[in-house]
Amino acid sequence: MKYNTVKAYMIKEFKELVRTKLIILVYLLPSMIVIIFGYGIRLDVTHARLIIIDNDKSKISQMLSSKFEHTKYFDTIESNMNEKQALRRIKQAKTDAILIIPNSFEKNLLKGQKSELGVFVDGAFPTRGTTIQTYIEGTILSLVQKVLQAKGIQQKKLISINNRNLFNQSMRDENAIVPGIIGLVLLIAPAIIAALLIVKEKEKGTIFNFYASSLSKNEFLAAKLIPVFLLHSLNIFILFLIAVYLFNIPFRGNFLLYWLASELYILVSISLGMLISVITKKQIVAVVLTIIITVIPGFLYSGIIMPISSMDGVSQVEAHIFPVMYYNHIVYDTFLIGQGFHSQINLLYLLILIIFSFVLFSAGRILLKKEMK
Amino acid sequence: MKIFFIVFSKEIISFMRSIALVAVILYSFTADIYIAGAGMQIRPRNVAIGYVDNSGGGISQKILSHFHQPEFINPKAFTSQQALSDAIFNKEILVGLIFSSNFEKAYVNGHNTKLDVLLDATAASQSFTTLSYLQNIILNFEKIDIPITIKSHRLFNQNADDHSFMALAELLSIITLLTVILTAMVFVKEKEEGTWDIMLLMPVNPKIIILAKSASQVFIVTIGVILSLGFVVFGAFDTPLNGSFWSFILLTLFYGFSSAGIGLFVAAVSKNIMQVAQISIAIMMPLIFLSGAWTPIYAMLPIFQKLSLISPLRYYIEGSESIFYRGTAFIDLLPYFGGVIILGIILYWYGFKKIGNLF
Repeated sequence: MKYNTVKAYMIKEFKELVRTKLIILVYLLPSMIVIIFGYGIRLDVTHARLIIIDNDKSKISQMLSSKFEHTKYFDTIESNMNEKQALRRIKQAKTDAILIIPNSFEKNLLKGQKSELGVFVDGAFPTRGTTIQTYIEGTILSLVQKVLQAKGIQQKKLISINNRNLFNQSMRDENAIVPGIIGLVLLIAPAIIAALLIVKEKEKGTIFNFYASSLSKNEFLAAKLIPVFLLHSLNIFILFLIAVYLFNIPFRGNFLLYWLASELYILVSISLGMLISVITKKQIVAVVLTIIITVIPGFLYSGIIMPISSMDGVSQVEAHIFPVMYYNHIVYDTFLIGQGFHSQINLLYLLILIIFSFVLFSAGRILLKKEMK
Repeated sequence: MKIFFIVFSKEIISFMRSIALVAVILYSFTADIYIAGAGMQIRPRNVAIGYVDNSGGGISQKILSHFHQPEFINPKAFTSQQALSDAIFNKEILVGLIFSSNFEKAYVNGHNTKLDVLLDATAASQSFTTLSYLQNIILNFEKIDIPITIKSHRLFNQNADDHSFMALAELLSIITLLTVILTAMVFVKEKEEGTWDIMLLMPVNPKIIILAKSASQVFIVTIGVILSLGFVVFGAFDTPLNGSFWSFILLTLFYGFSSAGIGLFVAAVSKNIMQVAQISIAIMMPLIFLSGAWTPIYAMLPIFQKLSLISPLRYYIEGSESIFYRGTAFIDLLPYFGGVIILGIILYWYGFKKIGNLF
């Protein structure tokens, strides 16, 4: 190892990052994404816009409407518009659901006769549609049960469900999202910088400096990758502080595990970027390729929107091919669960991350050429 | 006009010559959208359930028999509560049911009966939906006769098909991503090589060059959109198209130009491709994820709601959803067209001015 040459090369790379102002983005981009996602994405359905068309105007139907009014899940409008007008509002995306209470609803209910309530839900956003529908049906059923019990029509005792929400007692969306976003960001940001490092020189022709120099492949890669690695290592702590102090995410696990896993993960990400940089010839191809293979799978397989265990066969295999799943398991563990090094799965996943970085790095190293073809 | 076509075809040809780029673009418009669509299933599916049954069987088993494919994997029995919670901690199990020893007795005697449920709340939406399934199962099981029927209609997408929705959302994101990056790259490449200044100094109207260059990239993306609609969105996922196909293409074209405007702006402020990559990601990530594809606008923080008013993608996403699913009439689509066109003009005009200035 020619220590001085490598050092000089590293300083040059570092200065380049500073002079091109990329250093700002190295730190701005990850924090910005975490903050925007943490505040912006809501998986929980709240403030769904509901139009209640109350044709009965009785005491029970009023009770039903007010029950919808007093939750955070719905913003209700009581209206006399007819069904057609209401449906048009759904078509204009101005409302999400309509509830139609038939006339003589109260009378029928108290007599024990069937009455039919109409619910229309906008299904264009499938998950939300389903959730809104479940909420509405649940609210109606529980109210009707209560009314019937109070009036003595229905006597039977019920099985009540006593649920405990583990890891995220308050069911805060932030807790479920922010740790996952860290896994997404630490995959994308280092990979994009690393992806451009070598291909940039190829496109400009300065790669010949390397071909002609006495620097070996290993030294060249070390000089290229170590500055990016070190700069991004700081992000591990910045993101941790944002998560814990800005979003108040509990940190129940082992910080050492979080730190170790994150460093390994950055190594994986940088190696991936380097591999892309080695196999592509143009910067634009490298950029688009990196974004396509990090952003989308990173989001899909992060476990933010759906747990890996409930994926279908093929997607489940794909999720296992991607590093993000392993890292996110550890991150969620360190933030919300707290098993730390005692969990064998964490240790296994740590090992898998090591294998990932080793394989990707070796592949890039082998494909990198030291001379002109 | 002639100059326009020469520059236009020059850009198309140089795009076609870069085989790797063509391959990557084709990949993003087909396989990538397919993966996103096929992989996504937000409704509970294969949810892993575990249970501890101390009640001695009978009713508990009857309740458990209601959990079946495809929503649930057959419930797995655990001998103790500790074993069950360990499995949840290792994320092998999402939902755990605990039938206490007096469960059956209490139920038969008509006392209040409690069923303990443990949920992995890190997968909040699955857990919640599972909980409501469970409530329905118990309600059905108890056969309580409530004298009402709720007639629910899920409009536009009766089966709540996540696949086609995800494929569409992905397509819209890819359109944004590629238009911005491709447009910005075309200009920055020339900037990096120093040929852009020469272009501006040539006795050719620089406006025509800028227009032709960005139009060529919008054209490339539009072709990709049509391919993707044919092969993936309609071909593989049977996405419903309740509105008019041509209004979608028209909206896409307008949207293409407003994202090209963002691309022009990115090109104007960045000096090299490295910066283009970083700046466009910094602009696009919020744009894509805060424009209503993942969280409806009205459910976001008020400040984001206001900010989303200036995002052309917001109008594009709402408009496209309305065209595909809601089958909205053209007259009701006008606000979306208006939003995309007005923002498009502003962005394009601004980017145009910035990139067209020599100094």
